Amino acid sequence: MKNDKTAENVVETQDLTKSFGTDVAVQSLSMYVPRGKIFGFIGPSGCGKTTTVRMLTGYYRPTSGTLSVLGKDPAAFSKSDQGKIGYLIQQFVLYPDLTVWENLNFAASFYGVTPFRRGRLNKLLDFVELSEHRNKLARDLSGGMKRRLSLAATMVHNPELLFLDEPTAGIDPILRRKFWDYFKKLQEQGHTLFVTTQYVGEAAYCDLVGVMYEGRLLMIATPEGLRKKAYGGDVVGIKTTEGMSFEQRHQLAALPFVHGKVKVIDAQENDVIVDEASAAIPTLMEWCQAQKLNVETIEEKSPPFDDVFVKIIEMEAAHD
Amino acid sequence: MIKFFIRISSFLGKELTEIFRQPKLILTLVLGPFLIMSLFGLAYPDQSRTLRTTFVSANPDTFQNQMALFTESYSSTVVDQGIETDKDLALSRLALNETDLVIIIPDAPFETIQNNQQAELEVYHNEVDPFQIGYIQTIASIYVNEVNRRLLQTVTEQGQADSGSLQSNLETAIEKTQALRQAMPPGDANTEQVAEIENDLTGLNENLTMFRSLASGILVNPFGVKTSGISGIQFTVTGFFAPAVIVLLLQHLSITFAALSIVRESRSGIMELFRVAPITAFETLLGKYLSYLFLEVILAGVITWLAVSLLKIPILGNGQDYALAVFILLFTSLGVGFFISLISETDTQAVQYSMLLLLASIFFSGFFLDLRLMREPVTILAWSLPATYGIRMLQDVMLRGASVSPTLFQGIALIGLGFLVVDWLLLKRKMDS
Repeated sequence: MKNDKTAENVVETQDLTKSFGTDVAVQSLSMYVPRGKIFGFIGPSGCGKTTTVRMLTGYYRPTSGTLSVLGKDPAAFSKSDQGKIGYLIQQFVLYPDLTVWENLNFAASFYGVTPFRRGRLNKLLDFVELSEHRNKLARDLSGGMKRRLSLAATMVHNPELLFLDEPTAGIDPILRRKFWDYFKKLQEQGHTLFVTTQYVGEAAYCDLVGVMYEGRLLMIATPEGLRKKAYGGDVVGIKTTEGMSFEQRHQLAALPFVHGKVKVIDAQENDVIVDEASAAIPTLMEWCQAQKLNVETIEEKSPPFDDVFVKIIEMEAAHD
Repeated sequence: MIKFFIRISSFLGKELTEIFRQPKLILTLVLGPFLIMSLFGLAYPDQSRTLRTTFVSANPDTFQNQMALFTESYSSTVVDQGIETDKDLALSRLALNETDLVIIIPDAPFETIQNNQQAELEVYHNEVDPFQIGYIQTIASIYVNEVNRRLLQTVTEQGQADSGSLQSNLETAIEKTQALRQAMPPGDANTEQVAEIENDLTGLNENLTMFRSLASGILVNPFGVKTSGISGIQFTVTGFFAPAVIVLLLQHLSITFAALSIVRESRSGIMELFRVAPITAFETLLGKYLSYLFLEVILAGVITWLAVSLLKIPILGNGQDYALAVFILLFTSLGVGFFISLISETDTQAVQYSMLLLLASIFFSGFFLDLRLMREPVTILAWSLPATYGIRMLQDVMLRGASVSPTLFQGIALIGLGFLVVDWLLLKRKMDS
């Protein structure tokens, strides 16, 4: 499964595979990440997300397949190429006995950022809202603050492409939301972000989403496209004052633009899958009137991404 | 090129800040070694161990005076605990650690000697330490020599006294021989023989005169010995061990710092970042070398200052040589430490390796045992330790006032450079693989 190739892709992989002995961590992964987008790489823990990121950053060499990041094989990256990449590692790896400022300063030196960098570092601290904590030791920071400090350290050399490995893992939903606000701002500044997450709901914040499961990329699409692919179309919920009879449901399912069976939510409410919700809703209204059903509501539904993900996994299992 | 220096500087700032942020660690690093040296000086007084000695003799009255004289002469090493007549009692006191040495004097030594046999003294101890046993054997040997000397002196004095009448007779014989020769008619065939006898008797008389005129102590002990070091300074135990202690401490500090450095980063996960960032293994290693060298040069300076100013440890050579020796020791020790760090999987493993190296350095660097006493193959191990070179270089500079030996300097520098290359390759492999 792969998305469309465009001229402005910053990441391209073809049949990328990584094995550790007999264990295949990533299998035949083909995808493209367009410049300036937020690419969400979603999947449960241990599905191969971090292994993929490690191959894309050059930490791992692939077992087979080809990959190109910013137009080059990461194995052949020059220092200049490496300087265009920012990598946020899953765990906190900065130094607990250094302050926020010292850690940031270390990261800046480490990436060879000019000594006249105070202004930039201050801006970064403002960006991640840690200015007030600049003199605090990293070991005294909360989990969320540590993640923000790591993000600032990843940004210190102003990289074109950011690989963020589970940046929101283990932090509360409010802070998670805040992180996605940061990511949006970074995108607005022209950065491309490759974000891995196990929180399926975070797919909604991405421009493109890749779904990983057991080392395989099951699907790549926009968040809406993902829903559509998962359910085979748009989901439309019909709520009537009277209950729909078995015969009526049968007729509803037989309509040409309705796919699959009608899903009974309760006596009054039923969900149907259609090609295009906007086109189908007026026709469905007419059908209800013809059936003498009094429609309370009829609207397109956005199933939670958790359900979408489960659906995709079920489809994959059925496919296997 | 500027970025190269910026990247190296990142470690300089980071490592120093991390260490200076721990005042207790700094205090331990500076005062710890100084306190160890002070305690070492206090623990070992500048004198030999005294041995509580019990004599056993069937005739205590005969030997009382001689034993007293002996223990008086060697009061710094022997404390007389008296003469016992019961050997078993003396040995049981030895077993109970109430005495250190039991010397059994034979029952009738003079009769044994007169029978043309050696009278043997038996010396008992309860030591297990080979060095202490060696020390006791030396003391016993000194004791026997002293007894022999005193006996000879007594005999000599007796001989000198007895030779008085002999000389008188000899002089009479010479006079008679002279008279006989003068009375002989010219051309007598026996004149020549008589003159020879006269000459022999005169020579004998001269020798006897000399024998009688020399002090009995000189006759028995004609050669004495006087030893002097060319530095002209008599070193205390602390003074002698100070260079070795400084070397061991600096080596251990360097190795431990370096050993924990990379392994800790590998464990924390930041090595993953190093691998994908625009920093090379060489820059990382160089940055770490410089930061730890900077820190340890300061520590070495403070420790040296404390040793010289408070413990009054002398540095007879010049400061530049001292600094050069310390610098190359630190450089090489860091190389060893980084090597440990690169082959260790955990902090604990790195600490264990460092401790093993410290132990090896204590036993094989010549800290306690002279390298010249070692068997040949083991000296290879000894000369692969930075401390072996460091101790010799600092002893030369501090105690002998000499310069750093070029051979020693080249040897340790070669090891240091070797480790630099190996560490770089290992780190490169770690960052590239």
